[in-house]
Amino acid sequence: MTDQLLREAEALLYREALLLDEGSYDAWLDLFTPDTEFWMPAWRNESEQTSDPDSELSLIYYQGRSNLEDRVRRVRSGLSIASKVRLRVMHAISNVLVTAQTPDSASISSCFTVHLVDVRAGRTHTFFGRYEHELVRTDRGWRISRKVIRLLNDVVPTLLDFYSI
Amino acid sequence: MSAYRMTDLIDDRPTDGVFRINRALFSDPDLFDLEQRHIFEGGWVFVGMACQAEKPHDFFTGFIGRVPILVSRSGEGALNGFINACPHKGARIAQQCSGNARLHVCPYHSWTFDSAGTNRNIKWKSAGSYGAGFDREDHDLARIPRFGEYRGFLFASLNPDVPSLDDYLGEARKLIDLLVDQSSDGVELVPGAVRFTYAANWKMQLENCSDQYHFTSTHPSYIRILEARAKEQKNEVVQSTLGGSDFWKEDAAGPTGGTFSFAHGHVLNWGLMAVTPALPLFERADEIAARVGAERRNWMFNMRNLTIFPNLQIAENASSQLRVIRPVAHNYTEMQTWCIAPRGESAEARRMRIRQYEDFFNPTGMATPDDTVAYEECQAGMARQERPWLQGHARGLAASVEGGNAYSDMIGLHPERSVLGQAQTGDESLFHSYYRAWASRMREALA
Repeated sequence: MTDQLLREAEALLYREALLLDEGSYDAWLDLFTPDTEFWMPAWRNESEQTSDPDSELSLIYYQGRSNLEDRVRRVRSGLSIASKVRLRVMHAISNVLVTAQTPDSASISSCFTVHLVDVRAGRTHTFFGRYEHELVRTDRGWRISRKVIRLLNDVVPTLLDFYSI
Repeated sequence: MSAYRMTDLIDDRPTDGVFRINRALFSDPDLFDLEQRHIFEGGWVFVGMACQAEKPHDFFTGFIGRVPILVSRSGEGALNGFINACPHKGARIAQQCSGNARLHVCPYHSWTFDSAGTNRNIKWKSAGSYGAGFDREDHDLARIPRFGEYRGFLFASLNPDVPSLDDYLGEARKLIDLLVDQSSDGVELVPGAVRFTYAANWKMQLENCSDQYHFTSTHPSYIRILEARAKEQKNEVVQSTLGGSDFWKEDAAGPTGGTFSFAHGHVLNWGLMAVTPALPLFERADEIAARVGAERRNWMFNMRNLTIFPNLQIAENASSQLRVIRPVAHNYTEMQTWCIAPRGESAEARRMRIRQYEDFFNPTGMATPDDTVAYEECQAGMARQERPWLQGHARGLAASVEGGNAYSDMIGLHPERSVLGQAQTGDESLFHSYYRAWASRMREALA
């Protein structure tokens, strides 16, 4: 059962990565539940991240998929100079672990490395850290009800959008 | 002495209606070195907030120009600023960004200093066979020559020969008051610092904060989303202060805001905004009016971007941000940013402030990347060329008047110059104050 779940979770994470790499944002959004929580905490100091998004700052915090839809709308709008030349990105996911499970839900931990080429500026960068995915079983398969992105190298070089992490 | 004369760099001829800046200010590495020495290491700069070292022995570290500094609160509660370098061999004695330490022990040879900077131990001193001259030297941590606080804002100068902090801040103190007085307990930094870099000159950020002209052209993607969200009124979407305001709308009628310039390079650009629930401050609107008067209260709800030259910016528009500009190279800048907020606001107001902040101010949000990418595009065009003069400091010149106006009078504010703007004024003449302060600090380095 756990092996099966692990394979399904890996397949979902790899698919999510591919959709972001390809820029297939509608299909990417479809992986999330409407009430999904999308959270990239900030760092309080050298070693601790912020833990309460309502009283501490996050790099990104959204409750509800419609906020992610806004982010997608913005990069597609043609009205954002930061989004005009799409960065080439490659998400590599590894160290996937099932950390908790029930028949209809699962907690998945993984590592991510995102290599980016900012063609406009002629530079490359790597973002890396850990993901925590909360998955729920729906009649359309697993969906993401919560995603936490723990970005380790958090000094942002000029820009970081939802497809960069 | 530099190869430049001041008049090669800043063409400041008020009687001819001319104010122009040479691209070299953004692109010349030699000028950048002079700026580090004469602007950042040569006069008052912002170094941090008293609340970053609140308890005895609390400390935080940072830089003034290229010089590492340590701000430490002594056991008696006094804040002091030191050079964060061991007198022995120069190692930084504190490496953490902040913490609490009664004693700072140098990691290299264990020279030890207390939280008031006094040397408490030189390892194996008696066996050290020091020459007679050694005891005549001061072994304490070097103090930053000038260090002072205004209402929780800490400033310091590596150059002892500067005006008093009160003189330097001048009328801008009243604008700091408008922030600090939002709570009878003052302000605090929301936990979680955000840093980002951009590959362009520090003065791009200096100007952008005060640049109303760019907003509708750089941020339409964000504005569209605000407009859509304002219509939806859904709970889950992040609403914004700016969604309900006219100050940036191109078809608004009458004065919508303006700019004030002050001595020593400080400027404010501001926009009229109503006392509405779109601001987290609304919950205490009546309390504030009772405490500081209705006019000061109304001003607290206005959009305000304040720069304290050369490195502090306080932006109160979509939310409230404290920004510190750290120049690294002529074409590379690091920004340190925090959400600054009145103490004691309700959990709901704080949540709203944080959500608005993240969407607008973060380099991971929907507005700041469009600014920083634009800075980098500008930097490309700062390369030396036949036409050295930029045309970006000219708007508003004919509308600029000496002294203030009815809006500054409301709060007893006395700017050196002011512009009262329509929505499309996009004043750039307030930047002149930056460059006159720049010229004043750079004068001894340039012919």
